[in-house]
Amino acid sequence: MHGTIALPDADRSASLLRDCAVGDRRAFRELYDMWAARLHGIALRITHQSSLAADATHDAFVQVWQQAGRFDAARGSAEAWLVSLVRYRALDIVRRRGREVGGYEPPEQADDSPDALTRMVGNAEGAALRHCLDNLDPEHRRVIVLAYIEGLSHSTLAERLHMPLGTVKSWIRRGLASLRGCLEP
Amino acid sequence: MSDTPNQDPDLLAAEYALGALDGAEREAVRARAEADPAFGRAVEAWNHRLTPLSRLTGDAVPPPDLWARIAASTSTATIIPLQAPRRTLRFWQAGTAAALAIAAGLAAFILVRPPPPQAVAVLTPANGAPVLLAFAMPNGDLMVRPAGRLAQVPAGHDMELWALPAGAARPHSMGVLPAAGREMPTMPATGTRILVSLEPKGGSPTGQPTGPVIYSGQLRRL
Repeated sequence: MHGTIALPDADRSASLLRDCAVGDRRAFRELYDMWAARLHGIALRITHQSSLAADATHDAFVQVWQQAGRFDAARGSAEAWLVSLVRYRALDIVRRRGREVGGYEPPEQADDSPDALTRMVGNAEGAALRHCLDNLDPEHRRVIVLAYIEGLSHSTLAERLHMPLGTVKSWIRRGLASLRGCLEP
Repeated sequence: MSDTPNQDPDLLAAEYALGALDGAEREAVRARAEADPAFGRAVEAWNHRLTPLSRLTGDAVPPPDLWARIAASTSTATIIPLQAPRRTLRFWQAGTAAALAIAAGLAAFILVRPPPPQAVAVLTPANGAPVLLAFAMPNGDLMVRPAGRLAQVPAGHDMELWALPAGAARPHSMGVLPAAGREMPTMPATGTRILVSLEPKGGSPTGQPTGPVIYSGQLRRL
């Protein structure tokens, strides 16, 4: 159930992004075929509505085409670039609309158990983050995983967890500071 | 804006990348990431660090028409209508949209200028109708004329014409496209792919296309 996931080929993705930057439509289509389901899944988890998720995925791929020249493999992976584009678009959409959404129930609550976190391993960065998350206080880990996966703001998290806003902010900051210390070489 | 104004900027970048910021604070941090390169890099670094968390979310198959929407959104910007061609040549009329476009282009062309072109490229957006025709003339000119609804060029940009010879890895520029059809220098060989990209005003600063290729077509002998 919780095996590590097969990631789209990182070198191939980076090479396709370089081809997109010079206007290669076939590369763009191949990149779409490799990444659309993954990016749509991320957007769906944040927006909770298929049509909104499709809008976020659409906007992200339009940005990929228009800004592929800005992708720099020396500064981050193709995965990080693509995932960031779709997450920011999905967050824009839900923050603009507020969070009155229906019609879709996420299949599972964000699961931050050690077993579930195994899914993120996939490559060296994933293994490192997994290791560092394991070392966090459980409360810090939980709010960070929830905020990232579901795209929840400090205030929404505080409501959801029935915790004071200041406590949630403090958990997130302390958790992020610990992650930074753990991930730094 | 923030309840801890002196907080570590790297942690602020982390909170933004995590998605935990809201409202005015989120907008302010986004603006700062665009204005301040060091801060922008901190956000990028956090995007990268946190990305494995996105693998905890399952895939979801997007709607079947999503690619078509994306293809449409990336092929043209705002559309300006061109005058419809007045006449077409009879023997082309039963053909495809491309043949009709060539016919229309030839008809208009023959009225203006007697010597017939030797080859033609029909330039289209991805999966779209013909937009430009490029005629290779006997004197070595490449003549480009509109054949359909041309994208409106955003302010501060030009369309640039490129030739990608068969088998070549990189196109070479044939100059910035004028607003109306006009002769362009240097006739490329049959089989060359003609591309039009959107570039900063005056043309690509690098000698290679930097913006999206909005139209393309292969030069074929007539």
